[in-house]
Amino acid sequence: MINLADLEAAIRTALPVSHLEIEDQSSGCGESYAIVLVSEAFDGKNTLSRHRFVNDLLKAQIAQMHAFSQKTFTPKQYEDYLAKQC
Amino acid sequence: MSNYHEVTSPSHFQQLLSSDLNRVSVLNFWAEWAEPCKQMNAVTVELANKYPSVLFLQIEAEAQSDISESFDIESVPSLILLRGHTLLQRISGADAPALTTAVAKFASSPSINPLSRTDLPPAKASNAVIEVADPSEDLESRMTRLMNQSKVVLFMKGSPDAPRCGFSRRMTGLLRDQKVDFTHFDILSDEGVRQGLKKRNDWPTFPQLIVNGEFVGGLDIVQEMVENGEFVETLAV
Repeated sequence: MINLADLEAAIRTALPVSHLEIEDQSSGCGESYAIVLVSEAFDGKNTLSRHRFVNDLLKAQIAQMHAFSQKTFTPKQYEDYLAKQC
Repeated sequence: MSNYHEVTSPSHFQQLLSSDLNRVSVLNFWAEWAEPCKQMNAVTVELANKYPSVLFLQIEAEAQSDISESFDIESVPSLILLRGHTLLQRISGADAPALTTAVAKFASSPSINPLSRTDLPPAKASNAVIEVADPSEDLESRMTRLMNQSKVVLFMKGSPDAPRCGFSRRMTGLLRDQKVDFTHFDILSDEGVRQGLKKRNDWPTFPQLIVNGEFVGGLDIVQEMVENGEFVETLAV
């Protein structure tokens, strides 16, 4: 069981965060999380390397979850993504 | 009586049997000089009358030696019960009660009934590449070969038409939506490859998508790549 605040803290200390959303998909049980992470640190990294980076960063926490999914963006990509949503 | 015949030749025999392969037949191997055969012959006539759906074939054992040999007949009378070409029972000797019981039993059991029926056309052939196991191939080489078996290879649980996990199912759906040609490998069928690929690709889960022999990602990653345009780029190589 992983605490949402702990998860957030781990992310924020490791890289510059423009935008972060964390959703507990296990209805409050802390066993399954989905995150949206926007950071300029992702610039120049392809999708696989971004995911690997996050998986590595949160290795200890992910090991205690049943499921973990992530969406990653650079700040520019996130702007474009939001524009498309309208 | 149309269900009672004296067999005159092997081809006559085949013709009679093949006319209905669901039908039970009683083959009565007999000989003129063997007294007990008279009794069994009488019994078969009686049974033929009683069970019109059963085929009764009188086979003079010595005259039809080819047929006798093919059934390993060593003595007369001998009775063979078949359904189509399937052997149901052999009876050696003039055992009238055994024959009567056997005919009663098999004549009343249903002929082949399908367990299910469908109107659907046959499923499209699977994309799995047929493998020939080579014992000398070690796991590393095997994984390399599998990852290169086609431009796009999906390592998944189950198969595209019968996925065994939600993530594998969604990945298949995504690839089909993107109109990508791919082959697959069912990692549930091979524990060595399953564990080996996790280490090799440094990725803990399945499905795993491989393009041009290189690991691209799992479901999340491929989904993201589709959304940000990276997927099309990867395939264009």
